[in-house]
Amino acid sequence: MSLLLRAIVAAGDAGAAADLGLRSVSGTRAAGLASAWDTGRAAGEAELLDHHRVVQAVFERVPCLPARFGSVFGDEEALRARLALREADLAAQLIRLGHRCELAITCAWREPDAPTRATIAPARTGRAYLERGLTQMRGERARERRAEAIVAHLLSELAIEPACIQHRICPRPAVAVSMSALVTRDAIDELRKCVARLGAQLPDVTTVMQGPWAPYTFAVSE
Amino acid sequence: MAGVPLRRDVVTEQAATLDVPLVELVDRLLNRGVVLTGEVTISVAGVDLIYLGLSVVLSGVDTIRQHGVDI
Repeated sequence: MSLLLRAIVAAGDAGAAADLGLRSVSGTRAAGLASAWDTGRAAGEAELLDHHRVVQAVFERVPCLPARFGSVFGDEEALRARLALREADLAAQLIRLGHRCELAITCAWREPDAPTRATIAPARTGRAYLERGLTQMRGERARERRAEAIVAHLLSELAIEPACIQHRICPRPAVAVSMSALVTRDAIDELRKCVARLGAQLPDVTTVMQGPWAPYTFAVSE
Repeated sequence: MAGVPLRRDVVTEQAATLDVPLVELVDRLLNRGVVLTGEVTISVAGVDLIYLGLSVVLSGVDTIRQHGVDI
């Protein structure tokens, strides 16, 4: 039976999630928590969300680094060998991130985006084709500029140090801003209020805050 | 270390209709977090997501096809 890695915890915390039915593979400073996994099993939405539930359950018990979904090891020795290569780095990340959580702040456009090139009827002339493309490009640039302005507004109002916040503008057609904030648990309520207040000031987007989650965005791989 | 094949429904029909908050979570589950090997091992139709990119996956079937993945 293979193992699907769920999270990394400090070696001293390896047994803290035993009631979750996870297998722990310990090194000297860090341990991997994993579930049994049938090799070749296909994953879908249910498995993705189950991964999140397991990671959150670990995160509620002990500081952890969430594993990206999909890392399967042939056996405990394979996982232990990989863990050993990164142990110092993982232990340092656990100290830096383990007691903090991630909040996701998403600003979604209230109005649907302009039709894409794939969904509009073919232009009858070359000129019409080019004009349509130009109009669409201008619309996309306008949205990017607006998204950048939203980010600037949020960053100026949110009292979070730059190293603890990451963002992307227009990552998908429906989304203006996707932001991740790394905060301590005692800062969550205040940030939630602040995001709600700022969201009310932005008439063209719906602002949603999710979390607290394990620090997916801030756990680095290299 | 092996990869987990991702069922087609995640990257096509459902991805096009998932609500924004769920997509934000799925983005993090698939695209963030610690990777011990330094590479993403989930594959879609035999193509590793490290090459495909989650944003491409979530943008729907038409975009995926434009990137040469036969689904």
